[in-house]
Amino acid sequence: MVNKDLSIEFLGVKFENPFCLSSSPVGNCYEMCKKAYEVGFGGVVFKTIGPKSYYIDEVSPRFDKLDKEDTPFIGFKNMEQIAEHPLEENLADLRKLKDEFPNKVLIASIMGNDEKTWEELARLVTEAGADMIEMNLSCPQMTSHAMGSDVGTNPELCKKYCQAVKRGSKLPMMAKMTPNITDMCEVAIACLDGGADGIAAINTVKSICNVDINKYVGMPIIDGKSSISGYSGKAIKPIALRFIQQMRDNPKLKNVEISGIGGIETWVDAVEFILLGASTLQMTTSLMQYGYRIVEDLKNGLMHYMEDKGVDSLKDLVGLANKNIIPAENLNRDYIVYPQIDLDTCIGCGRCYISCFDGAHQAMEFNKETRKPFCNEEKCVGCHLCALVCPVDAISKGKIKVKPNRKVDIKNLSL
Amino acid sequence: MECKYLNDLDAGLNFKTLKLEASRCLLCLDAPCSKECPAGTDPAKFIRSVRFDNLKGAAETIRENNPLGGICARVCPTEKYCQKGCLRCGIDKPIDIGSIQRYVCDFEQKTNMKILKKGVDNNKRIAIVGSGPSGLSLASLLLQHGYSVDLYEKNDKLGGYLRYGIPSYRLSNEVLDNEINKIIDLGLKYHTNTEIGKDITLNELKTYFDAVVVAIGYSKGKVLDMFKDNPYVESAVDFLKRIKENDGHVLVDDNVLVIGGGDVSMDICTSLKILGSTNVSAVVYEELFEFKASKKELEDARKHNVTIIDGYVPTACKDNHVTFKHRRLPYQLEMTADKIVLAVGQTYDLGNIDLEMERGQVKTKYNYQVGDSNVFVIGDISINKEKTVVGSVKSAKEALYYINKYLGGF
Repeated sequence: MVNKDLSIEFLGVKFENPFCLSSSPVGNCYEMCKKAYEVGFGGVVFKTIGPKSYYIDEVSPRFDKLDKEDTPFIGFKNMEQIAEHPLEENLADLRKLKDEFPNKVLIASIMGNDEKTWEELARLVTEAGADMIEMNLSCPQMTSHAMGSDVGTNPELCKKYCQAVKRGSKLPMMAKMTPNITDMCEVAIACLDGGADGIAAINTVKSICNVDINKYVGMPIIDGKSSISGYSGKAIKPIALRFIQQMRDNPKLKNVEISGIGGIETWVDAVEFILLGASTLQMTTSLMQYGYRIVEDLKNGLMHYMEDKGVDSLKDLVGLANKNIIPAENLNRDYIVYPQIDLDTCIGCGRCYISCFDGAHQAMEFNKETRKPFCNEEKCVGCHLCALVCPVDAISKGKIKVKPNRKVDIKNLSL
Repeated sequence: MECKYLNDLDAGLNFKTLKLEASRCLLCLDAPCSKECPAGTDPAKFIRSVRFDNLKGAAETIRENNPLGGICARVCPTEKYCQKGCLRCGIDKPIDIGSIQRYVCDFEQKTNMKILKKGVDNNKRIAIVGSGPSGLSLASLLLQHGYSVDLYEKNDKLGGYLRYGIPSYRLSNEVLDNEINKIIDLGLKYHTNTEIGKDITLNELKTYFDAVVVAIGYSKGKVLDMFKDNPYVESAVDFLKRIKENDGHVLVDDNVLVIGGGDVSMDICTSLKILGSTNVSAVVYEELFEFKASKKELEDARKHNVTIIDGYVPTACKDNHVTFKHRRLPYQLEMTADKIVLAVGQTYDLGNIDLEMERGQVKTKYNYQVGDSNVFVIGDISINKEKTVVGSVKSAKEALYYINKYLGGF
């Protein structure tokens, strides 16, 4: 079996591999984290520990999922808040975990409701043996507006709380961002100003997943009502990648170390986060759906990728794609690449014709006798919607046309 | 002219249908599929890898467990093993595990993965007699454990029944050669056209090598007394070999009677139809509910319009005319054919190898060892009961354990 070193240093702490449980239902107690370590996770972010005074009282049921056609769990909605166990029990679990797994990374996620509690929690988890602290500034379903994403959209408050945590602990600390904001950089910069060493992104996206159309209420239904709460899973991967890219692209955050979160399920997802600048990776939804065991294929697949790329250290991959995401106004708009249809592969379903007519530029023609499509290049703008809907991947990139009065060296185009 | 016999009967999956099939898997807890394989294959794990885009990992899971993974993927009667308990049946039908395994092994081949590694040399030398599925899998396992292996084969090519028995439309020589090359790459020394008892004796091997493993299989077709010395009669084994050696370029008769109802019989029937026989009738001892052939082989024969008459035993044969009686009912059947093929089981052909047989098996201890000698026996002629390719892999794995023990390994 392929064997590559997957270790990586993040905020000065060495992880044997970048895969971690994120602070969520998947790391809610000692037994869960123990199993996750044993199955192969490099680190655990223990479910967010809150102040003693804050009583967690959950609803039932508390989850929902979004399906599309025959694919379940495209996205997942969660109404659960932070750890419901008593503070002492959580701290005891942290101690036991560090004791039994000294070589695995233990990250304590904390959430205070004022400077005093932030500072106090930081001190307590440090004493319990955590290797790192993650500040949860982003949970969108707290029952208190002094906590969670309402805090995470306020840069001043974030900075103040980061300072408080730094007063309580010398441990490396990352601040976990909410995506329920237009510009994440402002908050991330405020956190770094307040003493944060790195950034975790993203937490869940505020959502209503489904509405029961007979009862006129969102899902899940809790005594006839529902609430907006956090959406996660594969569906939010594009949103997470966007925020991570924007931070890495910001001059003040250029070299910020990031723990990537949002819809990671396969090693390919993992590589995408790494290429856009994440050094460690956190997961929840895929683990809730499939279990910790999927880390086996994440690790093995990542090793094969490194082997194929001739890369020996994971850190060499971090951020490789950042430079290739540029502002829209800087993209090369001088050429059109036409679709090329492989008629031997084409099964004549006509989906390209339908989508081109109804969703694009009416360039695809369809011969009902031969049941074969034909691209009319007079009309085609090269959008490639046809390729995206083709069920047999028969459409690829073909002939290139340079727009009138533009200069392009076709041979050097990277398509 | 293109010969249909050389083309895969089953086209296999493409990447899209592979993903579809893998996504049907329920990824269940304690997957029953992973408990049913005699060779210890873990389909739950490799299907999960396929599901999560890790084809290379899937290939590792298959190959590291089974040196003949690509062959088993094609010829294993999966409905009797991994697919038997598939929980997907609670919704519709089992996952097509064989086809997923086949895609993954083909991917392994196409991407030129080198999964198996030669073990650190342990200075022990082993001779294996016979290069069928048992001999080949044991050779691979021993090489991975650091043994030096010499493989002896009396035919001019390696593969045994895989080469000369299984029709090309189910297992092509190309696939077989690829699998054998993976073993040769581990440092296998092989000696074809070398018959033990003639070119070199068993005693000589016993002296030269630390251990000798006899894996000669059941290479000879059984012939019932009433069919002996009948020019119309050919044994299934001989016939299959003749077809395969000639890449399907053999003339077949128009009306052929096949006696027997196992996988070999179905292979004969389908081959005959593919090669152009108009009427092929299989008369089978077992009734359909107790049929021995795998579901797939039976289906293939039926798709090719083979006539299957179940529940009859032959009672007399004169030239090309055979009389059958039904086993339970007062029915009698008279059949006259241009040719009769006997597929009523196989037996060993020891040649001049000096071994004591008892009821079709070499007398050995539970550990495949002949007395206290340095001779081991695996495969069809051993105590192992599973007379399938996957059964051979199983006996090879067990033998590896006992040979290691015998030679002071672990």
